[in-house]
Amino acid sequence: MINAQAVYLEYPDGTLALKDISLQIDPGQLIYILGPSGSGKTSLLKLLMGIEYPSKGTLEVLHQPMNRAEGNNIRSLRRLVGPIFQDFKLINGRDSLENVMIGMRFLGLSPAKMEIEAKNALVRVGLEHKTFSLVDNLSWGERQRVAIARAVARRPRLILADEPTGNLDHDNALNILDLLSSFKNDYTSVIISTHASHLLDNKNYKCLELSKGSIVKTT
Amino acid sequence: MSKQHKGVLIRLKNIFYNWGYFLKEVKTSIRLNLIANLFSSICIGLIFFILSIVVSGWWISGNVVEAIQKEAEISVYFQESLSDPEVMQLSERINQVVGVREAQIVNEQEAHDRMVKILGNEAHVLEVFDDSPFTSFIEVNIQLDKAQVVLEELNLITGIEHIRDNQEVLSQLQRIVQVLSLVGYLGIIAVSLSTLIITSHIIRLGIYARREEINTLRLLGAPETFIAFPFLLEGFILSVIGGLMAVVLNIWTIHFIYSRISGALTFIPLLPAESLVLGLSVLILSLSMFFGVIGSSMGFFSAKKV
Repeated sequence: MINAQAVYLEYPDGTLALKDISLQIDPGQLIYILGPSGSGKTSLLKLLMGIEYPSKGTLEVLHQPMNRAEGNNIRSLRRLVGPIFQDFKLINGRDSLENVMIGMRFLGLSPAKMEIEAKNALVRVGLEHKTFSLVDNLSWGERQRVAIARAVARRPRLILADEPTGNLDHDNALNILDLLSSFKNDYTSVIISTHASHLLDNKNYKCLELSKGSIVKTT
Repeated sequence: MSKQHKGVLIRLKNIFYNWGYFLKEVKTSIRLNLIANLFSSICIGLIFFILSIVVSGWWISGNVVEAIQKEAEISVYFQESLSDPEVMQLSERINQVVGVREAQIVNEQEAHDRMVKILGNEAHVLEVFDDSPFTSFIEVNIQLDKAQVVLEELNLITGIEHIRDNQEVLSQLQRIVQVLSLVGYLGIIAVSLSTLIITSHIIRLGIYARREEINTLRLLGAPETFIAFPFLLEGFILSVIGGLMAVVLNIWTIHFIYSRISGALTFIPLLPAESLVLGLSVLILSLSMFFGVIGSSMGFFSAKKV
């Protein structure tokens, strides 16, 4: 599903965000990317989402080579991915349902099908009572759940969550991680980046630990 | 079905399924820049109105010139020695010249009668002549734009003594037609450019105001056509609203002007008001639709990297 060989990422200002990253992720896995702020977690997710391209090395996501020349195909690949951004990237002035549906509008689904799928996703994240609430009026945690619903409603092959526990208290953070874990199945892999490794103390998942742009530990 | 065809089909399905969403997006976009959008539509309307005034002038003058063209005549005087059958032959020969609409013989009596009609109450002056001052001639109705060719051809025909060609008047008419056509075309070009600039500018403003949403759609994998469609629709709608304003102004203006000049200028062959209004409405609405889409496409694709 994901195959990276000696991948480097250098930003235009010369910052080397990732160094010699090699990894293999198979379908149906749940993986945590751990590390302190600035360790390269978000940069790695940006590579997997096709927002950035490797400066060196090869990367394939769902059999799609990730490089600048593949720009148009990478746009299509994004339709198979459910991204959950650190800042959610919800559209203000629209309700939760519309925000969830926006991720499905270009998948060739009928309006009725889209609405059913979106409402089901909102039920799964426990926000059915906020279906028609403007996202501007939701709490931080609720907005995060809308972002999760948007990611999962389109039944992606890969869910990529960037720091989903940021700004949440311990209990809510655990709830979110449990919720995201529940979307893992034979078809869908889930990759979660977080700096809150203490939340995983009692959990037994595959983890990649990053430090200064390199993988320092795999468990 | 190939991958490419499948992609096109999904795009069409997306557009079909998301009409409600696109219209809602257009509404949101217009609301975000309400004043700017309103002024843009008014500007487009006024520009189209100016165009319609120019085009009305062009069409009406064209109609007048066409009417005059139909009356463009030259008089061919033949040698007196020609017998009647020879004059008939000459007339038939002239009729075959390219650019000649009709050639007919005007005999001495008819020439006299015409002059009597022109002189009216003063016709008695003709009585002072002992001999009739009129001679038979061939009246040749020609196509104005072929006047020169016709004259050259007539000069080659034997039996013709003299041609009165009104060449100067005919050339002036031709020049008027050319200038009016040029002004009309320049008007269309100027209006097209103005509409393109206004529409593309307003779309760029809309894109700038909604750049975060556009970025989110791109991150979610939305195709560029899906992102562009509401903006193209917005440009189309704003431009058509402008076009409709111009049409309404036109209907009012044309009827107002016609009501003022009817009766006063009966000698000018004006186009019927209804056909003028219809023609202008079709022209303006077509141009507003076309340039609305082209202008918004230009705006969208020039602001792609927001």
